[in-house]
Amino acid sequence: MYCPYCESEGSEERAEGQTGALTLCPNCGGEVEVREHTSATQCPYCDSYLIFNERVEGRFSPRMLIPFQMGKESCKSSLREKFRKCRFSPTDFLSEARLNGMQGYYVPYWFYDYKTVCNYQGEGTKVRVWRSGDKEYTETSVFAIERGMDMDFEKIPVDASEQMPDDVMDLLAPFQYGQLVDFKPEYLSGFYGEKYNMPAGEVEYRAMALMKEDAARLLRESYAGYNTVRTVREDISVRDSRASYGLLPVWKYIYRYKEQDYAFYVNGQTGKIVGTAPFSRAKFLAYTGTLWGCLTVALALLEILLGLL
Amino acid sequence: MEEEFKKEARRQYLHYFRFWFLGIGILAVACVVMLVLDRTRQVPRTNQEAPKERVYDYADVLTDSEEADLREYIAKMEGKLHIDIVLVTFSQSVEGADAGQVTLGPSPGGGEVREQYDLRSADWEQNMQDLADDFWDRNRFGYNEGFEGDGVLLLHNWYEGQNGEHLSTSGRVEERFSLYDIDEVLYAVDEYYDTDPYRAYRAYVEEVCRRMDDSLSLPFSWGLVVVLPIIVAAFYAISGASQKKAENTVAVNAYVAGGRPEIRNKEDSLIRRNVVTRKIETDSGGGSGGGHSGGGGHHTSSGGASHGGGSHRH
Repeated sequence: MYCPYCESEGSEERAEGQTGALTLCPNCGGEVEVREHTSATQCPYCDSYLIFNERVEGRFSPRMLIPFQMGKESCKSSLREKFRKCRFSPTDFLSEARLNGMQGYYVPYWFYDYKTVCNYQGEGTKVRVWRSGDKEYTETSVFAIERGMDMDFEKIPVDASEQMPDDVMDLLAPFQYGQLVDFKPEYLSGFYGEKYNMPAGEVEYRAMALMKEDAARLLRESYAGYNTVRTVREDISVRDSRASYGLLPVWKYIYRYKEQDYAFYVNGQTGKIVGTAPFSRAKFLAYTGTLWGCLTVALALLEILLGLL
Repeated sequence: MEEEFKKEARRQYLHYFRFWFLGIGILAVACVVMLVLDRTRQVPRTNQEAPKERVYDYADVLTDSEEADLREYIAKMEGKLHIDIVLVTFSQSVEGADAGQVTLGPSPGGGEVREQYDLRSADWEQNMQDLADDFWDRNRFGYNEGFEGDGVLLLHNWYEGQNGEHLSTSGRVEERFSLYDIDEVLYAVDEYYDTDPYRAYRAYVEEVCRRMDDSLSLPFSWGLVVVLPIIVAAFYAISGASQKKAENTVAVNAYVAGGRPEIRNKEDSLIRRNVVTRKIETDSGGGSGGGHSGGGGHHTSSGGASHGGGSHRH
C-alpha cells in the first residue's frame, strides 16, 4: 500500500506525528488518514475536501472565523516578492511546481479578553543644563510619578494547534478583526482545518504574558519624558477575563531541500510571511566568487585603461 | 525535472551577472583598442646629441647590478614620459675658499673622460646648483632637444660634511615642478639615502615620474584592486546570507479596546530641585597655518639655459 504522506510503499511504519485513524472518502472510497485534531482535510486520491462535523460542532464549534482573503496565486506572488532578493536560495525554491504544494489551513485559536487595572508609582528626574557667562548650570528636578489606568484587552490571539510553531503563529499576527464572521462549516471547504488541540486554560499563560508586556509598555509611555525613572511599585491586575474559540486563515508551504524541511507561513488575511529561505552553498560560492572575479577583473582593466588614456 | 532546474539555474546566473559580463567585455575591448593606439602614438626621441648614459655614479655608492637596474628603469620611464632622467653622484668639496674646481669622471665603471667644472661661489647651495646645471647643459640632455630640453637631474654630493642633493629641472619638468614638488622629490631621496642609496635613487625616479605622469588612474593602488573586491564580496555574501524570519508588527495597543487605555490618575509632583554651578574653562590657545608656494626655483645657468631646482643638505 502506498502512503501519500510519508511516500512509503508496503511499510507499516508511520511518519512522526501521524497518530490518526483511517476513514473512507465518501467521494471515491479511498482511505484518508485523519489525525487526532483534524476537522477538515483533503482526500489524497480524488482531491475532494472532507469536513468532520463532530469536530466543528458542540464544544468544538468555533465562535468566529476570518475567511481567507488571500488566494493561492496572490500568496505565491507575495512569497516570490519577499524572497526575490534571497540570491543564495535554491533555484526551484519559488518554482511554480513547488509552490503549488502550498496548503491553506484554518488554525484554531483561543482569543482572550481581559479587563485590567494598572497602577504605577515611581520617581522621575528631569535634568536641565544652561550656560550664562562663564558658568554652566545643571538643574535636577525630582518628581513623584503616579499613574492609574484601566485597560481592556480584547481578543489576544493564541494558537491552539500543536503542529503550528508558537513563535511563528505569534509573528503572523496581527489579524484584522473587522473581518471576523460567525463560523459556518462551509468556510472550511477547500482548506485544511483543526479543532483546538488543548483547552483555553492550557495556553492562557501566553496571552497573559503578552497582555502584561503591553500593559507595562503603555504605562511606561505614559511617563515618558523623564531623564531617569525609578520604579517604586507597578501593579497590573486582572478584574475579569474571558476566552473564546475561533479559526484564523494561514497558508503553509513546505520546501524540502537537502533532507531538511523549510516551512513558510503566510497570514491568509494580510499576506504577512514568516519563514527564512533555504541556503544553497553551491549558489553562494558561485555568485560570491563570480562577483569577486568580475570586480577584480573590472578594476584591473579600468586601471590599465586609465593608464593608457 | 532536475535537468530543467539546472538549466534554469544557469539562465538565472547569466541574467544576474549580465551587466558585469557586458561591462568587462567592453572594458577589455577598450583596453585592446587603447593599447594599439598607444603603440602608434609613441613620441620618438628627437635629441640625439646627449649621451645614452643616465647613471653617473662617481661616488661609487651603487653596485654594478644596482646601476644596471636603475638604467633599465629610467629607460622604461623615459620612453613613457618622454623626459630625460639623470643621476649624478660624486664626493668632492663644493664649499668654502678651497672649492674652486670639481672634476667629474671617469666613473668607477670607466668610459667617460674627465670633465672640469669651475665653481663660481663659496656657497654650497649655489655651487651644487651651478654644477647640476652645467652638467646638464654640457652633456646636452633633454628628451626633445639639447638646450632647455625636457628632463631632470639629481646631483648628490657624498663629501663628508657636505652631503646633500640638488635637483635640477629643465623644459617641461621645470614648468611643471613647483618648489613644493622639488622638495617632495628630495624628501623621497632623503628618506633612504643613508641606509639604501639604490632605494633612494629609485624613489627619486618614481617620485619624478609620478608627478610628471598625466595618465589617469584609479584613486587607489594595485593592492586595493585586489583587496577591495574581497571586501565587497564579503559584504555581498553576508548581506545575501542573512535574513530574518519576520518582524513583530503588532502594535503595543493592538488589542487594547479603543486603541488606548483609560487614564484614571496622572500625577507628577515635584519632590525636590537642586542646581549645580560649574565654571567653564576656556582654552585661549591659538594656532597657525602653514603652506608652501610654488616658484620652482627658476634661474638661468652659466650656459644661458633656463633651469629650475632646489637643494637639501644633510
